[in-house]
Amino acid sequence: MFERTFGFRVFYYTSLILVGFFVLFPLYWMINTALNPSPNVFSIQFLPLHATLNNFIGVLENGSIMRYLANSLMVSIATSFVATVVAAYAGYSFSKFRYAGRKSLMLLIMTSQMFPQVALLLTLYLMMKAFGLLNTYLALVISYVSFTLPVGTWTLKAYFDQIPNSLIESAKLDGAGQMKIIHRIIFPLAVPGLASTAIYGFVWSWNDLLYSLTLITSNSKRTLGPGLVLTYMGQFQSNWNSMMAASIVVSIPVTVMFIFLQRYFIQGLTAGAVKG
Amino acid sequence: MDLPTANKRALSDKQVGVLLVAPALIIFCVITLYPLVNTVLMSFTNANLLSKYRAFVGLANFKSILSDPTALQVLVNTLIFVIVATLVPFTLGLIWAIVLNEGRKTSEFLRGLTLVDWIIPSTAIGFLWSWIFQGNYGLLNAVLTKLGMIHSNIDWLGRPGTAMIAVIVAKTWQTLPWFMAFLLGGLKAVSHEQIEAAHLDGAGNIRTFLSVIMPQIKSIVSVVLILGFMGSLQQFDLIWVMTQGGPASATTTFSIDVYTAAFNNYDLGTASAIATVWVIIDLLFVFLYVRRLKDDFQ
Repeated sequence: MFERTFGFRVFYYTSLILVGFFVLFPLYWMINTALNPSPNVFSIQFLPLHATLNNFIGVLENGSIMRYLANSLMVSIATSFVATVVAAYAGYSFSKFRYAGRKSLMLLIMTSQMFPQVALLLTLYLMMKAFGLLNTYLALVISYVSFTLPVGTWTLKAYFDQIPNSLIESAKLDGAGQMKIIHRIIFPLAVPGLASTAIYGFVWSWNDLLYSLTLITSNSKRTLGPGLVLTYMGQFQSNWNSMMAASIVVSIPVTVMFIFLQRYFIQGLTAGAVKG
Repeated sequence: MDLPTANKRALSDKQVGVLLVAPALIIFCVITLYPLVNTVLMSFTNANLLSKYRAFVGLANFKSILSDPTALQVLVNTLIFVIVATLVPFTLGLIWAIVLNEGRKTSEFLRGLTLVDWIIPSTAIGFLWSWIFQGNYGLLNAVLTKLGMIHSNIDWLGRPGTAMIAVIVAKTWQTLPWFMAFLLGGLKAVSHEQIEAAHLDGAGNIRTFLSVIMPQIKSIVSVVLILGFMGSLQQFDLIWVMTQGGPASATTTFSIDVYTAAFNNYDLGTASAIATVWVIIDLLFVFLYVRRLKDDFQ
């Protein structure tokens, strides 16, 4: 794209080294700290010369952290599933049907990701309390679904737009009902879009702190974000080695998903996502 | 569903379309629209988290916010955070996208590795940067001491000016990959013929970038900037994990302010009033975004 002038080379290598260092070194630092024996706070260890897995074992043997992990897994899978189904129906409707108010509805749903979540939370908290849903996973799942819906609907609509109408017409002539067309013909053709949406919903729920901090009130139901904050921030003297090990453990599920499904990930994440 | 089959068939295409969108519409109304309206209405009351009763108090909450000196500080904090913590990762993300776009095989790998920063949970990112900025034996103090740049440790997260810098650095680290992914996609779609033509015409790299590449990635740039500003405006997790808005409100942005008012002070009326002010500011971005989106609609 650019000519290999002297100036460009200087720019290229300077950026490669400086930005590369900024992007990658903290990751190394997290791993390095987690591998060093704890507590090991009085002298900085730049290399894991006395590497040990004790910090990781400590995290894995910590019953509460494992419970937070299981809770998060449950909430994230449920969100991912519900968000994908709802977004797929809505996206298909926007793509292949024409009715009054369709465009305004699309705009409205797209803008719903833009309003401050904390502003919605004030009322949602009272609503959940009034309906007895406070401290239930349902409260979290409904909220997360609504936040992931705009991006999911948008992504899937783009997929459905590429499916030719003639395919649907010929299925109709063959006597297939709408439900059959959607589930047997349309959805299988949009698997990459469905995967992107599912991943996006999963990552969103896995990452959230604000809603889980507020809507879940008992320790046994707590999810990862607030669980880790309460585990480590309440201590008088932080055990950083253990904190880094825990950070790595909670990053593993999403990172593994990312490694295997990178293509869908990038589609989902760049489809108009805001990470708040 | 005991409708006879004949009736089911009779559902027009229009009706099916509306039925399919109904679940999304219901969720939107219940979880976004109603809470938004209700929060705005609540800003005119003295609603309290601990009390069932509330009364209409007119503009009292807004008046008390305006006379509160921390409100101005929160406004300034939020503006600084939104502008710096969006433009810095955007610029670095663009530079990183240009670098990765030039390389060959290694850049695929580097791009993947970069995105890991984005994918790991905010809580973990907050922990990591709290550790790097830690005041006694954190990495930054150790490195700066070794280089002879500081003589005594700095309590980065405990001092107002440096705490803001620390949360901005953490936010930059988290969102740089997101900007990079968008912008790299844009760069890959730029027409090579036009670039070669520009080079043949004797245009240098900077000239080519400004007059050939920039116009072609302009729409992606505007989308990522709007979404980026909104993301920074919403930011809660990182700041909450690293400083909880402190020290002395130095990193309290509007999300932290609303949360604290409602869930630490139980004052829903004031919290709603602060939120309402920000919803109004936010509407400006929504307007820009909607205008951008409308062109893409079919």
